[in-house]
Amino acid sequence: MKGSAATAGPLAPTDVDLGGEFAGIRLETPLLAASGCFAYGQQFAAFTDLRRLGGLVTKGISPAPRFGNPVPRICETASGMLNSIGLENVGVDDFLGEKLPFLRELGVSVWVNFFGTDFETYVECARRLSVGQGIAALEMNISCPNIKKGGIEFGTVPEVAHRLTRACVEVSSVPIIVKLSPNAGDIVGMAQAVSEAGAAGVSLINTITGMAIDVRKRRPRIATTYGGLSGPAIKPIALRMVHQVAKALPELPICGIGGVMTGEDALEFLMAGASAVQVGTALFAEPDAIMRITEELRALLAEIGSADLHGVIGCLEAIPPEPPM
Amino acid sequence: MFRRVPYEERVSAAYFEARVEERRSLSGGYFVLQLVADEATPIGATVPGQFVMLRGEWGRDLLNPRAFSIFEVDGDRRFSILAKVFGRGTARLAAAAPGDLITVTGPLGRGFQPPRAGRTQLLVAGGVGLPPLHLQARRAAERGTPTAVEMLYGGRGRDDLLLVGDLSAWGVPHALATDDGSVGHHGRVTELLEARLARAREVGEEVEILACGPTPMLAAVRRIGLGAGVDTSLCLEENMACGFGVCLGCAVPVHGSRPYRYCCTDGPVFDAKEVRW
Repeated sequence: MKGSAATAGPLAPTDVDLGGEFAGIRLETPLLAASGCFAYGQQFAAFTDLRRLGGLVTKGISPAPRFGNPVPRICETASGMLNSIGLENVGVDDFLGEKLPFLRELGVSVWVNFFGTDFETYVECARRLSVGQGIAALEMNISCPNIKKGGIEFGTVPEVAHRLTRACVEVSSVPIIVKLSPNAGDIVGMAQAVSEAGAAGVSLINTITGMAIDVRKRRPRIATTYGGLSGPAIKPIALRMVHQVAKALPELPICGIGGVMTGEDALEFLMAGASAVQVGTALFAEPDAIMRITEELRALLAEIGSADLHGVIGCLEAIPPEPPM
Repeated sequence: MFRRVPYEERVSAAYFEARVEERRSLSGGYFVLQLVADEATPIGATVPGQFVMLRGEWGRDLLNPRAFSIFEVDGDRRFSILAKVFGRGTARLAAAAPGDLITVTGPLGRGFQPPRAGRTQLLVAGGVGLPPLHLQARRAAERGTPTAVEMLYGGRGRDDLLLVGDLSAWGVPHALATDDGSVGHHGRVTELLEARLARAREVGEEVEILACGPTPMLAAVRRIGLGAGVDTSLCLEENMACGFGVCLGCAVPVHGSRPYRYCCTDGPVFDAKEVRW
């Protein structure tokens, strides 16, 4: 369902309905907290109103707990940051027993990001997680740059991603949304492969592999040399990829991710064709960023005369051609 | 081996806005930035060693807030940090003017234990590691027990040793060391510590060590403290994006049941025995 250009005049922000759906999942607003930037939510309770999130995506969960990478793990770069946390997480059992009950009570859409270290553990993870009460969707991470052991193939080879997605969809009782890697050569081919395998939607993009160097020490600034770049620095790339996938696969729900700091950033993703948007890195500096972004988005939709999201999702119009010489 | 404590039980932090009230320049390129919030905040409950994450109106250039040990607290609205220009974040803060808006998350982390009766706390400060130990000394003086602590304070030269007059005014015993010999012992603060531990051993005095400073100094303090069988607490520093246990960037290698703990939520004060250096 794509919108058309708004024609009405400005509205009052209170007239704007931010509700919608993503792959059949009801969302009160299109804004979700992104995986890895939200932990398991408890830490944010002191700083923001978690019940007003559209939804949240947990830290990536693996079948067994993981302790993460050596330090230094993060460094700031121009309008962004590099991280190589190493997919540290509490594992499926502790997540279901200790973390999920808190999230379930919030009354917002809970998406659980997950991964494995090989084909079998991916499928095992999807199967064990999908029995958890109160999980709206599983977000399958095939795109983390911070895992060695063959992980890169899941996110960059369409046939491999297709096989993995199909196997996880078959064992899951909730929709599977596949988080794609911007490091894939052909993002549209990847989206098509996982869509045909039964993915309910795609999240894009994950971080872009990058590096930074401390010239005085002649060392990389993070211990694993390469890490994932996030923040406003990657937004134009993310928008381009969302737009490419939306144009090629108009029926596939897309959750846009990449450097969203403001309501205007979020609206760009919606206009490019995303029907929901995740906020990640912004949460570190501003734990209640999503509350602000929500109100900015509401005010912006009112300003452009759009009473709901239908009017803006995928509404991008072409720049008119120049007159002939 | 380690008790698991849910984050929210041990920290009562808030995310709030404050205004720069005053910026004071000190010697050696150091400055004190005093901030005041409009409303009451949890900052009044600060334990020395706890920290705040600060960020000004920096747009999208400097993305993340910067961590600073809390230097002084006055009531539940007013506090200050003591810092030195090190990178772009501290340069921005050093240039802040009264009235500038700063967002604050804090107080965060776990600080130092207060002194116990019959056991002197040796506060080993190196350079920019002064703030939490200065606050620890101030608190001891405010409780009427200034000699329950003793400051061993080192820097490159005279200009790096700040606010020593406070210690004198509070009646806190102290000894200074400088690399260039411009004041106090000509040498390292860890040499003062070794001599002080030897004296304590001779007379059977019970002491513990609280240290904050550059990592090489902390590594030396750790070696000396553990070698002498003295309880040693180190206030560490790591790159942080959030400061409240979400980004997992500030891992500290530790011994025990797991390879890492977090500077922001498990520290920044760690038992030297626990740290895997």
